Amino acid sequence: MDYISQGFVEAFKLLLQLDPEVYEIIFLSIFVSSSATILAALIFVPLGVYLGIKPFRGKRMFSRLVYTFMSIPSVVVGLLVALILARRGPLGFLGLLYTPKAMIIAQTFLVVPLILGLTYNMAKTRGKQIEVVAKTLGGTRWDSVVLIIRELRSDIFIHIVTGFSRAISEVGAVMIVGGNIKYQTRVITTTISMMNSMGDYPMAIALGTILMIISFVIHSLIYSYSRED
Amino acid sequence: MKIEAYNIRKKYQENLVLNINYISFKEGLITGITGPNGSGKTTLLHILGGLDPNFEGRVLYDGRELNKEILKDLTLVFQKPYLFKRSVFDNIAYPMVLRKENPKTIKEGVKEISEILEINDLLDKKGHQLSGGEGQKVALARAMIFKPKVLLLDEATSSLDPEAVKTIEESIIKYNEKTSATIIVITHDMEQSKRLCNEVVSLELGRVV
Repeated sequence: MDYISQGFVEAFKLLLQLDPEVYEIIFLSIFVSSSATILAALIFVPLGVYLGIKPFRGKRMFSRLVYTFMSIPSVVVGLLVALILARRGPLGFLGLLYTPKAMIIAQTFLVVPLILGLTYNMAKTRGKQIEVVAKTLGGTRWDSVVLIIRELRSDIFIHIVTGFSRAISEVGAVMIVGGNIKYQTRVITTTISMMNSMGDYPMAIALGTILMIISFVIHSLIYSYSRED
Repeated sequence: MKIEAYNIRKKYQENLVLNINYISFKEGLITGITGPNGSGKTTLLHILGGLDPNFEGRVLYDGRELNKEILKDLTLVFQKPYLFKRSVFDNIAYPMVLRKENPKTIKEGVKEISEILEINDLLDKKGHQLSGGEGQKVALARAMIFKPKVLLLDEATSSLDPEAVKTIEESIIKYNEKTSATIIVITHDMEQSKRLCNEVVSLELGRVV
């Protein structure tokens, strides 16, 4: 049992001593996951709201597909992106595999169905009333989309944060497309996985603690924002 | 704007809920629609307001089919209006913002309409935190501020206290006199239709009686 308590002591030393390797991993994790989340949110929040309020043929099938992709395993996404970005793949000439850009692409694909599905469902169930108000006051469908985003912003914020949580906590996709290369593509989850298999627990515990702190900060933000709203 | 509806049929599944051969609403008049629950009043109002395109028949507005331009001159106030989670000022100003009016015009418009509806003291409050009566007045102010030629009111004064009902009725009459808008009011209250309306139409089981 000693190795666990010793692991915690060593972990806090690493964090307090501002170990550059630890902090580089933390910053890269946050950078990759937040870039993927922002990219996905910028496009797919308005699209999700638009599709949610617009009647179109095949809407039921679309719902089923989106909900299915919401739970797509991260290794599958990683594999698909790796196939596309591999040297022999269709976008291999870009030379993106094993770079943070590839990790952002993979996580974007992972987060998109989640943000799209949650926003689409919210607009479908709760956006109708707001759309009707916009319409009766002379607004276009685009005005309705903007109004719904403004009115349901706290829910949308939660959807975006849920997407970020999914991105920062996944290991499969970034491991496959990033390769866990030291000082280049190593992020919190891939490092924890690697350190665990190497038996190097202090670093794994330190990064695990940081993941928990990030999660706590995010959920505190959601809580205070929802209360204010 | 004169509204005429021809051969209006509306079904929910197999139930025919509206079956009207002809009905018209004259420009500049306040017309009341009365009838028991389930008589098709709200369905008719939604069709006239362009909210329900799934019906048989034709509705003409000054002889024209419904289009984007007509929709901009027409509005509907619901029994339980949705107010935005913003200030009352922003709620009332919203249609003017959509029409890209300048801030000065918007401010003057909000001031004018809020004085008529006696809600000047509410302008800084949040829309979704108002009482029923206050919310209804704000919804009416929001509907009137852009001076639509057609104003459709779906039981806009039901469950309000007499004082609020009086203010709303007076403001509807004032608005009608000032703008000559076509106003259609759904009401269960025959006394209200006498006070407010120039004409009254009764519906029963989807038909005009």
